[in-house]
Amino acid sequence: MDNAKILVVDDDREIAGAIEKLLKLEGYEVIKAYNGLEALDILVTNAIQLIVLDIMMPKLDGLSTTMRIRSSKNIPIIILSAKTEDSDKILGLSMGADDYITKPFNPQELVARVKSQLRRYMQLGDMGNINLSSQIMVGGLFLDTEKVQVTVDGEPVRLTAKEYKILELLMKNAGIVFSAEQIYERVWEETAYSVENTVMVHIRRIREKIEINPKEPKYLKVVWGIGYKIEKL
Amino acid sequence: MAIKLKNFSRSTGTKFTAFLLTVIFITAAFEQLVILSYRSINLDLLLVNEYQTSDYFINHDVNNALNDIILLFENPSIEANNKNYYYSITDGERTYFNATVEKIKQSDTPLFLYENGEWIIGEDADYGTPYVYYPENYKIYLTFTKEFMVERQQILDDSKSFMIPSIIFISICTLLAFIFIVYLIVVTGKKSADEEIHLNRFDSIYTDFQLLFGLFAVGIWFSFIRDYYYINYTNRVTAEQVFHMVMLGTVTAIISILLGIILLSLVRKIKAARFLKQSLIYTSCYKISDFVKSFFDDRRYAHYPLTKAMQRRQNLFILTSAGMVFFAMLFFAAESPLFILPPILEFIMIYWYQKENKIAFDKINQGLQESLDEQMKSERMKVALVTNVSHDLKTPLTSIISYVELLSKEELSETAKDYVNILADKSERLKHIVSDLFDLAKSTSGNMPVDFESIDLKKLLEQTLADMEDDITKSGLTVKTKLPDNPIRIYSDGKKLYRVFQNIIDNTLKYSLTGTRVYVETEESQGNVNVIIKNTASYEMDFTPEEVLQRFNRGDKARTTEGSGLGLSIAESFTGVCGGSFKVDIDGDLFKVTIGFRTY
Repeated sequence: MDNAKILVVDDDREIAGAIEKLLKLEGYEVIKAYNGLEALDILVTNAIQLIVLDIMMPKLDGLSTTMRIRSSKNIPIIILSAKTEDSDKILGLSMGADDYITKPFNPQELVARVKSQLRRYMQLGDMGNINLSSQIMVGGLFLDTEKVQVTVDGEPVRLTAKEYKILELLMKNAGIVFSAEQIYERVWEETAYSVENTVMVHIRRIREKIEINPKEPKYLKVVWGIGYKIEKL
Repeated sequence: MAIKLKNFSRSTGTKFTAFLLTVIFITAAFEQLVILSYRSINLDLLLVNEYQTSDYFINHDVNNALNDIILLFENPSIEANNKNYYYSITDGERTYFNATVEKIKQSDTPLFLYENGEWIIGEDADYGTPYVYYPENYKIYLTFTKEFMVERQQILDDSKSFMIPSIIFISICTLLAFIFIVYLIVVTGKKSADEEIHLNRFDSIYTDFQLLFGLFAVGIWFSFIRDYYYINYTNRVTAEQVFHMVMLGTVTAIISILLGIILLSLVRKIKAARFLKQSLIYTSCYKISDFVKSFFDDRRYAHYPLTKAMQRRQNLFILTSAGMVFFAMLFFAAESPLFILPPILEFIMIYWYQKENKIAFDKINQGLQESLDEQMKSERMKVALVTNVSHDLKTPLTSIISYVELLSKEELSETAKDYVNILADKSERLKHIVSDLFDLAKSTSGNMPVDFESIDLKKLLEQTLADMEDDITKSGLTVKTKLPDNPIRIYSDGKKLYRVFQNIIDNTLKYSLTGTRVYVETEESQGNVNVIIKNTASYEMDFTPEEVLQRFNRGDKARTTEGSGLGLSIAESFTGVCGGSFKVDIDGDLFKVTIGFRTY
């Protein structure tokens, strides 16, 4: 893992250079490419563990590159783009990218996401039997009901009993929206009355523990005016 | 001196006095005239000194006396009773007399002699001859008694002594009134300050109405004179006549005031060249002719440059069609076979009208399509522009942020570290501004995708407040909520509305007076819900709600270093995109945002 090789693809040389240096400071080996075609060439000759990829590039754009890579490899791909619309993110993720970061990005967040993706990628080999009924996996989020344990990209997370129960409920029903009342009644097992604040506070705490950027959560999302859900990834 | 005179002559007081005097003089002259008429004084007598030289003497006294004499002579049965004259009449056979011829001839009163069909009066007589003639064989002597002549002379003298001063009085009054009227005509409308003609409110009345009113007033005056004027044949003025004089005098004064006002108004209008223009006849004629003209000189179609030809054609079509119908009916009524002609012409007209209109419609459609295409194109360009500029701004910003981060990891002096921290702060802020700016640009240009779904506004507010709990606690403010127990169902985009409320509450947290409360309330009524967020500002809000919503305007005009200043603008624009209404009220230190939605 220390010598993980990362491919940074961006047509802007300064940005590519900056990312290179940021990642090198973390001890990764970095190779740069300035367009999609170059990236594909490098992938053939080098054993790359993760790709940071811009979308708007000459010759071959990021989305097409992602599709080409996905046809042969399942290495993590983090898309880095100035396009901030939800529709752009959804498109990128559906093309096979594992994460989507918008420009201008927070350098520390980029590093954190790279680390998280790498951890997941490296550990995937160990998890041969993830489909056990006691184990739930959503993206890098892993919950074991037998061990009563939650890990994010392999890192264990310390949750309180209520937090764990909420997360378990939402992860078991990934993609389904729960209202605060429903969550309260299932987790606290009491009649719900004016519980929005209580539930929301717990949601926020869980987010702070499992999300890299709690302000832009990847897993645990608030559906404004309706409820809460774990994104189905 | 001249200026002083001008000021005096044009002053309102002078004018008013002159006007009043005019009215007084006219009324006085009129009253005097009425008195004269009551005295039944014959104006003929005014020009003679001797009664016997007057026409009245011949026409009245002499004539009457002759009639009496002839009557007596030809009808002997009638008793003679007049003692005013002496006469002698004979036809050669009969003679009637009340005095001998000698006595008559000796009298020093005027003598009238009729002989051989002719009137003979003394050679140097100063009186006229009668104008009646009798058979030639008649011979008549006639003269009047001394007493009668003296009495008549006395009456004449009395009348003259009364009448001459009266007439002089009337003349002077009339002359003075005339002078004042001329003066008023000259100065009316002028002020001492300038040489302009000043019209007053009364002058805005149509000229025709003024003239009609004047005529009406004159009519009333005449009717009063007719009703209250009569002659009584005594020399005394009766009490009834005094009453009538007062009556007529009052009416005359009022009527002359009215006529004076109208006259001066008309004069002012003439001076200002508005006499005709200010009349109803002229105005209506002008409007009608203008309306008709407007059809010919394109003014009627000025606002419709694209359909000008069509509208002109349409009017022509309607007009000629009406004409055709008229002629068809005329010919039909006259049982003329010509009645078939107008319908045929009408068909030709319809064909022409349709054909020309089709061309015009095609052109309009084409033009409209082109303009729509153009608009679409420019809309697309706008979106592309926002996207491109967004990319062009974000790319260098990404480099800046990344290298600032790298720089901060280097071994740096303390000062350099401070600088790097400032750079980090500012680039972070720039990032927010750019992001806000593009959110705003997208939402205002209508290119923001919106996911409408059924949401609970109450829940949304609770979630937002819970989400911002840390910020609220940090600010030291208290948020007081007043939300209903039941859900408030609205149809909107929850994620964007979260942005709206987040921005507003963020704003209140930034600009509220420490220790005060922020109120978040909802009001439901008739299918609508209003979310009201109120706070007390920590500074004097010397701006209007419009200003605070203008992009880049900040609550405090002295810009601080946090935020982009776009929060409220984004909130407003997003609310609009989400189908709600957004209103800001500022009342003293109270800052209030009201957001309205339709519930269902």
